[in-house]
Amino acid sequence: MLATVIQLIINGLLLGGIYALISIGLTLIFGVLEIINFAHGEFLMLGMYASYWLFQLFGVDPYLSLLMVIPTFFLVGLAVQRIIIQPIINAPPLNQIFATVGLSLVLQNVALFFWKADYRTVRTAYSTLCLKTGGLMISLPRLVAFVLAIAMISALLMFLKRTYTGKAIRALAQEKRAAMLMGINVYRMYQIAFGIGIACVGAAGAILIPIYYAFPTVGALFVLIAFVVVILGGYNSLVGALIGGLIIGLVEAFSGFFLSPHLKEAVYFVIFILILLFRPTGLFGRG
Amino acid sequence: MRKSITGFLVTSLLVFVLCIPPAVIAAQKVRIGALFPFSGPLALLGQETFNGATIAADMVNDKGGVWGKQIEWVKGDGVDPKKAMTECERLISVQGLRLIFGTYSSSRSYAASEVAERNKVIYWEQGAIADPITERGLKYLFRTCPRASQFGIMAADFANEVIAPKLGIDPKQMKVAIMFEDSLYGTTVGGNAAKHALKLGMKVVATDSYSHKTVDLSPVAMRFKARKPDVIIATSYLEDGLLFWRQAKEADLNVKAFIGTGACHGMPDWAKTFGDEANYIFNIDPAIGINPNVLSPKTKAVLKEFQERFNKKFGHLPATHASLGFVGARVLFEEVLPRAASLDPEAVREAALKVDIPKGGTIFGFGVKFAPPVHPAAGQNLLAHPALMQWQEQRMWVAYPLDFGVRDPLLPLPTWEQRAKGVTRFVK
Repeated sequence: MLATVIQLIINGLLLGGIYALISIGLTLIFGVLEIINFAHGEFLMLGMYASYWLFQLFGVDPYLSLLMVIPTFFLVGLAVQRIIIQPIINAPPLNQIFATVGLSLVLQNVALFFWKADYRTVRTAYSTLCLKTGGLMISLPRLVAFVLAIAMISALLMFLKRTYTGKAIRALAQEKRAAMLMGINVYRMYQIAFGIGIACVGAAGAILIPIYYAFPTVGALFVLIAFVVVILGGYNSLVGALIGGLIIGLVEAFSGFFLSPHLKEAVYFVIFILILLFRPTGLFGRG
Repeated sequence: MRKSITGFLVTSLLVFVLCIPPAVIAAQKVRIGALFPFSGPLALLGQETFNGATIAADMVNDKGGVWGKQIEWVKGDGVDPKKAMTECERLISVQGLRLIFGTYSSSRSYAASEVAERNKVIYWEQGAIADPITERGLKYLFRTCPRASQFGIMAADFANEVIAPKLGIDPKQMKVAIMFEDSLYGTTVGGNAAKHALKLGMKVVATDSYSHKTVDLSPVAMRFKARKPDVIIATSYLEDGLLFWRQAKEADLNVKAFIGTGACHGMPDWAKTFGDEANYIFNIDPAIGINPNVLSPKTKAVLKEFQERFNKKFGHLPATHASLGFVGARVLFEEVLPRAASLDPEAVREAALKVDIPKGGTIFGFGVKFAPPVHPAAGQNLLAHPALMQWQEQRMWVAYPLDFGVRDPLLPLPTWEQRAKGVTRFVK
């Protein structure tokens, strides 16, 4: 029984790492631009496809493809911000929702048009590799995803704390008007923050392709959990997103095993509702 | 002025042509409604099913047609259940059709057949497997393909009749775990598998359902690992089925047999994703690769002609869906309509109820006899059943019912450790 519990903890933490990974970009965009990006899942889908095609066409390993996916998605993010997000940045929330939901529908259908509804995955030598230690199993690609999630969060925190751009983005997130008065180029910073957010979710897609499958609506499977994690973590806290992801992962692993696999989603949504009721700012959020 | 007169004449001519009652056109042709999802996410298999049906029509038309008239399809696009209903309505009231052929998808069939029934029009279903379609006591609905519940029942029967003796386990001691996705499809198949396994006296150690949209099935693998079943019976869509097998490997979950019941475990993606790790898995579906000894000599010739014509027209050999479309259409054109003498729904109904094709009379090997209106499954082909296949050499081979089989089932399923050493690779 002890071995089972330890295995469940491992499974839960590894799953939580994946949830944290997909929530990083969403947290950043939500925290800085205060826009709910409903197309977040579709950018994850595009990241998966990007990595998939790099592997299929040029034999690039998915992890190596990060070197190409991250800069490309950063540029895509800049462009999307300039064309779609910038015009609605001061619009009522309802308009912002329409714009990003519209973007998500467009991206889904573009993917359906070009790549059909087929399920695509990358079969590498390590795709189903497992580390076995004392009867415990640790899936290698999941471990990599976990480590990279922590690495990405650490790097982003360093960037936000140490560099001028990072500090400016934080200032903007805290108090937009004061930041403007201090001479910070608000629109430039918005653009960079959005670009980094999209680069993060693109990277998440590339990291997940050895484990999951790319298809046009795959984003929908993940995006709901990403929202739960972001709200649980406190809307704009990267550490919060990590802890939130790990909590949801553990809750899923344990409720799935001890209650029923059928109920695991229900259990974390109950937790979600409780958080909203008793701590609406999330675990790490500012009031 | 001149222009407007010409315009008026053209318009009135158009109106006149459009006003010719469809019945006038119908006099020269036998017009059948083809209601399938021709666009949208299910379009690929919807079109494929219809392609199979067109071959049956071609074969009849080349021999002079039905009652000396050529068969003509009038297409309706059932993108979703709601659209299937409006398209069915359109085919009946605007096109004046009296027989609708469809639909491949259960939810669309369920909705559209209500419309046909209300209009007292025949609804000929050949590919939708949900049980409730023929549980509503509809008078004008007929279905040629097997039902979802039969997939679950066959899985339990196979475990009882073949797996237990082959492994030297007493069926009453055999531990079965059942997993299914929690939509209507999974609950029907999985629920019936569990019920039937219990009826046969097997030990059902777990029945776990899950949402097919989940991104983690490790809890299911862990639960099964803790309960040590001999056999797993699984009903999955593609993404969840692939995810589970991957996570079963990660959890080092070893069982003696794994039976899939349609969808995921019979798709080419299964072998494409897992390569040799796909081997040894069983799957249940209607199958045309059965032992030819089951088929009557005439059916053998029909199968050959169907495959040749299909390959020539569409560039590949027909698989399950195209064959379901073909069988449904062939029964209609060869057995029912010639006896009915017209498309009058009452006449077609009576003719359909008289159909009695013995085993070996369709390319799937099963016969055709429709349940009468008083039967709880009114309109269902009671002789239809799926077949069980096993993946060997990354291809599927029929193994059950025993006389349908072309290869002996290989048991037990090798452990993951044995698989890593290449046991499931078939070396020639």
